[in-house]
Amino acid sequence: MPSLIDLRRRIRSVQNTEQITKAMKMVSAAKLRRAQQAVVHARPYATLLESMIGSVLAHGGEDAAIGSNPLLDQRECRSVRLLVLAGEKGLCGSFNSNVFKAAVQFADDRPNQSIEYELLGRKAIDFYSKRGQQITGSWEHVFAHVEYATAEVVASNAMQGFRHGEVDEVWILYNRFENVLKQDTTLEKLLPIAPPQAPDRGFGGYEYEQPPEQLLGTLLPKRVVTRVHLAMLDSAAAEHAARMTAMDSATRNAGEVLEKLRLHLNRVRQASITTEIIEIVSGATALE
Amino acid sequence: MRIVGKVIQVAGPAVDVQFSGGHLPKIYNAVIVSSEGFDVPEPIDVTCEVQQYLGEGRVRTIAMQPTDGMVRGMHVEDTGEAISMPVGPQVLGRVMNVLGNPVDQRGPVETERRFPIHRNAPSLEDQSTESEILETGIKVIDLIEPYLKGGKIGLFGGAGVGKTVIIMELINNIALQHGGVSVFAGVGERTREGNDLWLEMQESGVVNPDDYTKSKAALIYGQMTEPPGARLRVGLSGLTVAEYFRDVEGQDTLLFIDNIFRFTQAGSEVSALLARMPSAVGYQPNLASEMGQLEERITSTKKGSITSVQAIYVPADDYTDPAPATTFTHLDATTNLSREIASLGIYPAVDPLTSTSRILDPHVVGDEHYEVAQSVKRVLQRNKELQDIIAILGVEELSDEDKLIVARARKIQRFLSQPFFVAEQFTGTKGRYVKLADTIRGFREIVDGKHDDLPEQAFYMVGTLEEAQERARELAAA
Repeated sequence: MPSLIDLRRRIRSVQNTEQITKAMKMVSAAKLRRAQQAVVHARPYATLLESMIGSVLAHGGEDAAIGSNPLLDQRECRSVRLLVLAGEKGLCGSFNSNVFKAAVQFADDRPNQSIEYELLGRKAIDFYSKRGQQITGSWEHVFAHVEYATAEVVASNAMQGFRHGEVDEVWILYNRFENVLKQDTTLEKLLPIAPPQAPDRGFGGYEYEQPPEQLLGTLLPKRVVTRVHLAMLDSAAAEHAARMTAMDSATRNAGEVLEKLRLHLNRVRQASITTEIIEIVSGATALE
Repeated sequence: MRIVGKVIQVAGPAVDVQFSGGHLPKIYNAVIVSSEGFDVPEPIDVTCEVQQYLGEGRVRTIAMQPTDGMVRGMHVEDTGEAISMPVGPQVLGRVMNVLGNPVDQRGPVETERRFPIHRNAPSLEDQSTESEILETGIKVIDLIEPYLKGGKIGLFGGAGVGKTVIIMELINNIALQHGGVSVFAGVGERTREGNDLWLEMQESGVVNPDDYTKSKAALIYGQMTEPPGARLRVGLSGLTVAEYFRDVEGQDTLLFIDNIFRFTQAGSEVSALLARMPSAVGYQPNLASEMGQLEERITSTKKGSITSVQAIYVPADDYTDPAPATTFTHLDATTNLSREIASLGIYPAVDPLTSTSRILDPHVVGDEHYEVAQSVKRVLQRNKELQDIIAILGVEELSDEDKLIVARARKIQRFLSQPFFVAEQFTGTKGRYVKLADTIRGFREIVDGKHDDLPEQAFYMVGTLEEAQERARELAAA
């Protein structure tokens, strides 16, 4: 039976943990709001860009020149670059491990292709630091404030590699923010760009001043950057959401553990009191 | 000269006797109360043991049999000696009570000699100093708290965690294969269990009640129905029989006692009747010396050995209770049974972290055994430390190494379970006897991570590692 002191010490330690998890939950909740807003605001832009590209492609459907954009180039896949977006910190449930599991699965599915990794987030860098994989770039502290400039650099690196034929495909792996309780691990192909479907409405009836291939020359790279940027925003929001949920359940669990420990403590204390009383009383009775 | 007295007071098992003429029986002498000359429906012939002199020719005695129907004034005769047990090969195959009387209805036990139940412990220079491991075929015991040949072994556990089942399994695994003789002392436990054991022994041929030369075990019972005096002394009676085989015949003897706590409990009951002031938690003040007198006699000498296995009930699962705590110090190896583990469905519910053995030492068991046992304990200990984190933050927050440790610890916990021969009718699985070498190899491979790919369930209730692998294949196929 553990002593009273031991029990008290354990209760204190669990209490401290509870305090920390509670604080982290509140911090995440506050940060989540901002991150969520950023994602919600960025999505319409990405959607419109998509349909615009679709419209341009549909418009110049007969023109062979527009298919010649190097970013649309479908090649036999021998080497792949994977952008892995994970968190900066732990204590967020399965947020990080889901991404890594998917990344490992990705590599397992491509036994005959060489894979290079571009890592965003401290945890991704830690995960791959001991794995002896080819790393093209590591980015830390990019999720606290998601900068468009970062996305631009990452995307242009990827596009350069693709144009030069160093890689035949570029994929991005991240946690997509669905809602506070749901984050989906998402794997998307960045390059080559699969031509989007022409929209039913929207840009359908427009005439373009510039030749379509010139338009696409600007729009397609922009699309890649936007995708990366959106993925980063999603991942940031998802991380906060995951941490909030994880810390919420941790706080609840700590409460349960505390309750059990307190009950146990009270029982032990009462037992020792009872024993002492019995001893005193029976001692006194024996003397009578 | 016959020393005769009269009963002057009866208070339950405590009988006060008045002797006249300044002649008093010695302390611990047996005196016999008889109803001779009294008109009583049932004749009385009760043996009592002298405990205290009350002054003015009065002595206080404790009855070994029920005192129902006893009347003041009945004659009490001093036998001139302490209670004695018939000893010799003739006791094998028989069931006796605390006084050495047969209770198996097969006529008197005819031996050449009787030994008094109060004897001195072997002196220091007579004691044996050898250390050799006793293989039990039970994985968790052989690995974590190996039993010492000629040592004292305690099985601690609260109510209903399986002490008696382990004792039975040990009898099955050791006594049946063992060349020497076994003595079973039933102290204050269920009569049914005693009966079952006797029948089982007959079935397996360890005992043949009609021919002592074919029997290898003697049973001495003072079960729950007996008065406290009998329960207090029956341990000594059983021990006396075992001592004969050790000292006179120089045999390696096995002594099973179930349950030592009842001995303490009986001592506490008697203590109150003798008007001693209760001590901690209401136990008798002479708890430690009473226990010492019994335990110090259970030892191995240069002539022969007594390997004793004692079940010890732990009241309210509290190991700091004076009764188990006092017993603890006497033992070479302790096997602690834990309710927590029993509630996980892991039997035998041995707690590997609190069970210990004096001979888990590289000089006795060898380096490999020691290393494996220590690393198993390390993994389990680390797992225990991680439980708080898991309970609060979840398994996901553990590092990869810790996740692996938790997974291995869960496999080890399951691999520590084992089907028992004696529990076959409950589990539906045949018992397994696992050789020590197989046990060590199995646990080493799990700790080394050679079986990280097998599912946990494959390790539950199996014998050797090969069996676990086969189970894993079955699970994969299903």
